Amino acid sequence: MPFDQALRFASIWLASTSFIGLTLGAGLPEWLAALTGAALIVALLRNRGGKSVERLATYAPISDVGWNLLVIVGFLGFWVDMLWVSGELLSAGIHFLMILMIIKLFNLKHRRDYLHLYAISLVAILASGSLTADLWYLPIFLLYLLAGVWTLLLFQLTKHPEETRMLATSVSIRPQPPASVNQVTPQLFWFANGLALATFGLTLVIFFTIPRVSAGFYQKGFGENIRTSGFSETVNLGEIGPIKRDPSVVMRVELSDGSPHETGRLYLRGVAFDQYDGKAWTNRLNYRRSVSEDATGTFVLRGSRSPAPDRLGETIRQTIVLEPLDTPVLFAAPLIERVSGKFPSIQSDLTGSVYLPFPSSSRIEYSVLSRSNPVLPADLGSEPSRYPESFVRHFLQIPAQPERIAILAKEITHAQRTTYDKANAIQSYLTHNFRYSLDAPLTEQDRPLEDFLFTRKTGYCEHYATAMVIMLRTIGVPARLVTGFLAAEWNEYGNYYVVRQQDAHAWVEVHLPHSGWITMDPTPPSIESIGGGSPAWHALGRMMDTIRLQWSRFFVQYSAADQLAVVRELKAGGTSARNKVFDSMTALFSPFMAMLGGIKEYASKETMLSLAEVLGPVLIGLAVFLWLGIKRPWVKGMTRKKTTYDQQIIAQLYRRMISHLARKGVPKLTAMPPLELVRLTQERWSDASSSVASITELYCRTRFGRIPPTREELALAEDHLRYLMALDKP
Amino acid sequence: MNPTDIIRAIQENIARVIKGKPHVIEMSLVALLARGHLLLEDVPGVGKTTLAHSLARSLDCSFKRIQFTSDLLPSDIVGVSIFNRQKQAFEFMPGPIFANIVLADEINRTTPKTQSSLLEAMSEAQISFDNKTYPLNQPFMVIATQNPAEYHGTFPLPESQLDRFLMRLRIGYPSPEEEKKVLDRPQSLHPAETLQPLLTTQDVLRLQEQVDHVLMEESITDYLLAIVQNTRQSDLLSLGVSTRGALALSRAAKALSLVRGRTYCLPDDIKELAPIVLSHRIMVARMQGLHQRSFEQAERIIQDLVDSIPVPV
Repeated sequence: MPFDQALRFASIWLASTSFIGLTLGAGLPEWLAALTGAALIVALLRNRGGKSVERLATYAPISDVGWNLLVIVGFLGFWVDMLWVSGELLSAGIHFLMILMIIKLFNLKHRRDYLHLYAISLVAILASGSLTADLWYLPIFLLYLLAGVWTLLLFQLTKHPEETRMLATSVSIRPQPPASVNQVTPQLFWFANGLALATFGLTLVIFFTIPRVSAGFYQKGFGENIRTSGFSETVNLGEIGPIKRDPSVVMRVELSDGSPHETGRLYLRGVAFDQYDGKAWTNRLNYRRSVSEDATGTFVLRGSRSPAPDRLGETIRQTIVLEPLDTPVLFAAPLIERVSGKFPSIQSDLTGSVYLPFPSSSRIEYSVLSRSNPVLPADLGSEPSRYPESFVRHFLQIPAQPERIAILAKEITHAQRTTYDKANAIQSYLTHNFRYSLDAPLTEQDRPLEDFLFTRKTGYCEHYATAMVIMLRTIGVPARLVTGFLAAEWNEYGNYYVVRQQDAHAWVEVHLPHSGWITMDPTPPSIESIGGGSPAWHALGRMMDTIRLQWSRFFVQYSAADQLAVVRELKAGGTSARNKVFDSMTALFSPFMAMLGGIKEYASKETMLSLAEVLGPVLIGLAVFLWLGIKRPWVKGMTRKKTTYDQQIIAQLYRRMISHLARKGVPKLTAMPPLELVRLTQERWSDASSSVASITELYCRTRFGRIPPTREELALAEDHLRYLMALDKP
Repeated sequence: MNPTDIIRAIQENIARVIKGKPHVIEMSLVALLARGHLLLEDVPGVGKTTLAHSLARSLDCSFKRIQFTSDLLPSDIVGVSIFNRQKQAFEFMPGPIFANIVLADEINRTTPKTQSSLLEAMSEAQISFDNKTYPLNQPFMVIATQNPAEYHGTFPLPESQLDRFLMRLRIGYPSPEEEKKVLDRPQSLHPAETLQPLLTTQDVLRLQEQVDHVLMEESITDYLLAIVQNTRQSDLLSLGVSTRGALALSRAAKALSLVRGRTYCLPDDIKELAPIVLSHRIMVARMQGLHQRSFEQAERIIQDLVDSIPVPV
């Protein structure tokens, strides 16, 4: 490919990359994205040398003045956009930037136009970088870097011929730049790519060592927190339902032993509610105290109260990566004992819920030690006991309810003696006699609970849990409603739970006289699974999620403190820093390895078919792409000569010979044909003339006679050149 | 025998007669192989006629010489119709132009009418007489001579007619050593008569055909066109080179490549041939220094021009 064509191609590539980055990052309006995409495709086709496209372009009814007018119109549009349409400087600026890019793409005539295009692309990729911290930015940025290196290289390489051409126009009309010199050779191709990779490697080193300023300036406005429901002070019954179909990820939970919880599911407790008014739950015990921090930066919740050894329940250590949510609640398995993370402070209320002082606007990571209360033997045999006044006020409160709920509760539990058995009876009654459905009644109903229990008999977690709490309270058992998430989706590649909005859940905590608050869940396991699709797709999705998590952990969240640690460790001369970097890398790429293993596994299973479904089209597409690349049907009929590799070698030899001769005082002038140079060499440096003559002969035969040289001839020419280099001029 | 060897043998053959002028011999062969005609412009007595004669002898071609004078008529060249009494009809008697190699000596001494009849025959390779067309012999080559030294009583050929000649050559005086060899030769016999023919006319035609197959790479064509374009735009010239001139240069370059034993052209060929192929086709804008003869000046301008045009590498 000649240099100037390659330059055009690389420039369009650069623009495309930044455009893709911006589209993914900023969410351009559809019409603008389509327009820019079309402009890029047209520019690419023009560069491909499509005759019809070129003709179309020359017939384009817009003159230079027209384009300038368009720029002005675009600028006015920018103000309109900023003041009224999108109302923001950044998004209006981005839209204007895209308009400018489109206009520039149609006006790539002079070298300065290319420079303008590069400036626009740079601003675009920077904008998209400041708008996102997502994983896809990495490949886009890599592509951009590659294209950038190429364009700069080619821009510099094409500079010289153009300048000399300007000087030469006075004497010659159509000087032909030597074709073999201005070609993108395989060496150049690999050199440029290697350069780009080296640049990236260097950037990586800089990333880990140079201090940086804090998060993107505009990040706050754009990175919207995920809207949750069910964790505010007051929650209407049925509020959780609508979000049960939202698959966006809320958090990821790693367990200390790296394997899923033994029950397969993990309750992540958020907020508890004590007060029910017939329609909505309210947390009256919302007085929040600051939790004291111990020396190691861990916040201890129940530290003052050291439980008796026999009461020690199952402990769960979790590390949770929480997405930015609109609630300050910190989720963890019940019941939280210690929390550690990079927080200035945390608070807790009387129900044991833990809060940040305010919702975090960025992703946070924290680890929690939880200990659930086991059911003690004492509770299995004892009579219901009396509760203190505060307990009665908060956890035995019942709204004005028709009698039939209390009657139903008594009916269910009359055979049971202990509190625990009664609770179990109600739980199993609800689990077995009601149908789980998300097509549940809306919150506007007058008596949602009655409606659930006696009329519809279908509902979802909130209805089940509310029903159980109220029924327990009517028979004098203290209970409260808890909202949170029920993690069930285990990612086997990264060994963590993925928790999504749709995993939002509500369940019950029952107070037993001796054991304390224990978790019970009347909701039957949901039958509705997350969409269809083959298991291969799900595996792929989980793998992508793993990479995303690692990306966020090791690159986006990589902070100044981490840098300092690396520097310190480097100073200490320890190998740990290297190991750390290596660990980051292996962590990032381990899902691929796992995937490879997974593929092997799949191959043995009968999922080959579904895998073939995926791979088949991909392979066919690749094959078509390769075929197009090799055959190039669009250049059919064009008899473009192809310079072979041998021809390039001899051209290179010849060029080296010329430059060597020039150093030795036998310069080749531009108007000097090859044989004249041989004669000149004979006059000035007769020792060299035979070698020069033989190299020139071979070169001329190859270049002008199109007779490919044989291997022996090439070797001979190389020998001659070597001899020439070694020869001393008298 | 391959073409290169044949051509070298002919060159050596002629060189036995024309001493010390290998370049002129080579160029006249180029003109022959390019199906062109040659204009020799030089003072009398330097071997113009001998060159033509020995070329014809080496090729086993028929050779005719026409001495142009001011009273020469077209029929003296083309031929005449003579009444044949036995057949009671006019019969065409072919003139001296019906030969393979025709030497038109002192072409500028005859009237334009006669000149043009010859030039017509040169470009058409046939003549028309009494509504009949007679094809000329093939190969057909005219070697015309002009004396640049005297202008009295001459009719200089207009540029449009000079355009028909492929190249204009000067022979020049031989060096003293070479001249001595000429003088030492036995004078009884014309030296050209001693030559043995090496080729038949068929062989010549075959060689001419081979010229067409010589490869001229695109960049060289561009180089040639750049030269031609520059003559048209040069301030020093009032008339540039015509398309026929470009064609002539291209053909001559191919022929020269063949003569030099190549199957492809080099920029060198173009550069070397440009002065002699193009200089008689241009008009110098104003006489810069009247002491110089115009054709020398034209050659110098072309040479300067060629020296300024980048050569494809």
